[in-house]
Amino acid sequence: MPTTDTVTRVNAAVTLRGVSRVYGRGAAAVRAVDNVSLEFPRGGWTAVMGPSGSGKSTLLHCAAGLEKVDSGQVIVGDNDITSASDAELTALRRTRIGFVFQSFNLIGSLSAERNVALPLRLAGQRPKPAEVRATLARVGLADRARHRPRELSGGQQQRVAIARAMVTRPEVLFADEPTGALDSTAARTVLDLMREMADAGQSIVMVTHDPGAAARADAVVFLRDGRVVDHVTGAGPREVADRLAAWER
Amino acid sequence: MMGMSRAGLAERWPLFAGAFLSVALGVALVQSSLLLLISAATYDPPAGWSEAARMAASDNAVAAVSMLGVILGIATFLAGFIISSTFAFTVDQRRRDLALLRLVGGSRGQLRRLLLGEALLLGFLGAAAGIPAGVAVMNLQGWLLRRMEFMPADFEGQWRLWILGVSFGTGLALAVAGVLVAARRGSRVRPLEALRETGAAARVMTVSRWIFGLIFLGGALALIIVAPHGGVSGGVAMAMNVAMPAAAAVAAFSPLLVPLLGRLIPAGGVTGSLARANLADARRRSASVAAPLIVLAGLVIGNAAAGASFTTAGADQMRAQTRADLVVEAPGPVGDRIRSVPGVAAVSTETAIPATVTTGSGEDQESESAMAMVIDPAAYAAAHSAGDALTALRGRAVAAGPGGDVPSRGTIRLRLPGLDLGEIPVVAGVPATMSGGPNVLLAPGVVPAAMLASAPTQSFVSLAGDADPPAVRAALARVGEVSTADAWLRADAKDRNSTSDKILLVIMGLGGLYALIGVINSVVIGAAARRREFAEARVTGLTRGQVVRSALRESFAVTVAGLVLGGVAAGATMATVLTTTTAVVGKGTLDIPWTLVAAVIAVALLVTSVTSLLTSLSATRRRPVLLLGATE
Repeated sequence: MPTTDTVTRVNAAVTLRGVSRVYGRGAAAVRAVDNVSLEFPRGGWTAVMGPSGSGKSTLLHCAAGLEKVDSGQVIVGDNDITSASDAELTALRRTRIGFVFQSFNLIGSLSAERNVALPLRLAGQRPKPAEVRATLARVGLADRARHRPRELSGGQQQRVAIARAMVTRPEVLFADEPTGALDSTAARTVLDLMREMADAGQSIVMVTHDPGAAARADAVVFLRDGRVVDHVTGAGPREVADRLAAWER
Repeated sequence: MMGMSRAGLAERWPLFAGAFLSVALGVALVQSSLLLLISAATYDPPAGWSEAARMAASDNAVAAVSMLGVILGIATFLAGFIISSTFAFTVDQRRRDLALLRLVGGSRGQLRRLLLGEALLLGFLGAAAGIPAGVAVMNLQGWLLRRMEFMPADFEGQWRLWILGVSFGTGLALAVAGVLVAARRGSRVRPLEALRETGAAARVMTVSRWIFGLIFLGGALALIIVAPHGGVSGGVAMAMNVAMPAAAAVAAFSPLLVPLLGRLIPAGGVTGSLARANLADARRRSASVAAPLIVLAGLVIGNAAAGASFTTAGADQMRAQTRADLVVEAPGPVGDRIRSVPGVAAVSTETAIPATVTTGSGEDQESESAMAMVIDPAAYAAAHSAGDALTALRGRAVAAGPGGDVPSRGTIRLRLPGLDLGEIPVVAGVPATMSGGPNVLLAPGVVPAAMLASAPTQSFVSLAGDADPPAVRAALARVGEVSTADAWLRADAKDRNSTSDKILLVIMGLGGLYALIGVINSVVIGAAARRREFAEARVTGLTRGQVVRSALRESFAVTVAGLVLGGVAAGATMATVLTTTTAVVGKGTLDIPWTLVAAVIAVALLVTSVTSLLTSLSATRRRPVLLLGATE
């Protein structure tokens, strides 16, 4: 059991200070996130693990400003977003953070390249085709630019989603079970890609229940009943799985 | 953002096809009613016709203009109602897409602009399709007006170039107005909703829904309260207008009311309980299907009942006032010939002549086509229980008739065919009656004999106490067509009923059809979003047949709930009819057209059942595993 919840002290990409999120009221109240203080390091890949219902997704949503916190502070870079307005959060999503989800969440009517260009267009920029293509090329899909999501495999769709998240060069990439809907080969491709991005200095916060996926991260934080109960750096899949199993008991 | 709009259109076509159709048909209906109204208002009978025929045609045109005004009002109301309910539903069905846009950096303003952009595009396309469709609708409605003899055979709706601007404006305005509230709501969707599998159901009873509902409820209540004090024409007009706000109010509260009524479906078996649960869960969808049904049933049944009741009340009033045994129909001044028949105690001979009445002076001067009737004041008063109201009518003066529209004191200008009588004092008047009748009553001396010679005339005959009726009838048959007063009144009432049925058909026919298309729209849009839900039910162990049956039972329940609530709106009209007839003729009269009620129920159930069957069969065509596997 570590004496502090801090993962790395310097230069955090995202900082949570005493964050709590409660659902429901009175006797039915559930503390999904219970007084969590954490720093996700800049340029590092942190995995958040825990049994289902441990509050890991809620933690991610709070850290990304998708969910308001009931108490505590959420700081992205050096901006306190705890009580940011809707417009400020929109600007944050546009320029400084990116999302990848288990269910890809691409827009079915748009081709891969238009899906990727969407955040730039929403931000009022005129995306350069070359830039969009280059982003798609980085995820290995240069030849799928004109395909619609339904014409792509799950792994390819997830890589389009990563390209869409990365096109704005966000400070932090939030990934919620990014390999949850993929077969093992596709999952490996996506994790390889994320590893490459992290090595190039991208900050990533990833929620997963797959020890294999978590082992690819630089550090793993374990959550149970809304609290941080453990953290480990540089562990292999076996060790991660063992620790998770210990906390699930 | 317009590119997004276009791509969105291509993807979610059932939603947009529904919205497009609602705009196109709404524009067509409004345009046709407006063009016909203007054509009828500016209608000039052909120059070759006699002045009498021209005056009669103008009198008919005046009636047609007021009818077309009602049609235009109903068409606009329906278009606004159906379009806004369809647009709100399509926006609601896309909450997940909208949340996704929020997630990747879309602002509320951008979402609002996206939805407004779509509405503009749909409004434009809908109007572009609605304008030629409107010409077809106009030809159809024009044909109905000629066929039902509201307008002469040479009447035609005329195309005006400026209608292009009006119709495009109508389409754009209705589409944008229809989407405004929904766009505001849609743009406030939380980004996290994109992560839920099925877009979270938004709160349906929103503040704006409460406000709209209460405003319409207030409007309906005001009409219900004021109508009995509005006199004959005012009361009738107000009663006919209760159904619209009442239906809109009930429709606004339908998300609360439909699930309540849904509890009445028998929860037998797994399909029954699933249908009941779905109905309560998907309030938005249930309400969207029920809303056009409420308007359809409320408007059609309410106004049909009002029309039939007022006609019946008019006929009852006429029967109560008429003091005669026989009626003789023969042209010209036959009074003396009838009076000379042995056994005839009294006769009121009444000759109808088309006229133009001008009231007011200077800028307020107003000319209207009217019906004048030449009478013998004393005999008329005796035959129609008018008491001594007409004793002042003699010489070159007139009285206001039971048809209303002419003040009972003052001066009017009266023009008969080929004869300008100039300024004439109105010295007396009988109260206006429910069934109407001549607007002006004239003493015999005013009109030249030549004009009376061939004019249609009816004579109300009273027999002496000792008369032998068959003999008198036989003698009168030599003068003209004889019927007993009872038979004549019955025939007259039947004639009026058929006229009111025709008016209802012209006014309600296409509007009802439009509302019905709104129902189909909602069923199709609702089912388009349910593929996944159906697939989940099937992997849970339900057979395809059970899923389809459950969808059918749900649609049946929604339809019944919509019809019941429509019945509530119609009931508001009927209550007004009862209080108004009580106030005007002294006896509450309510005549419910049961055949029409049965027809509306049958058609509504048939249409929703067939549409639900087809859409749920189509939505369950693919194997459920394929649907659940694909996340997009």
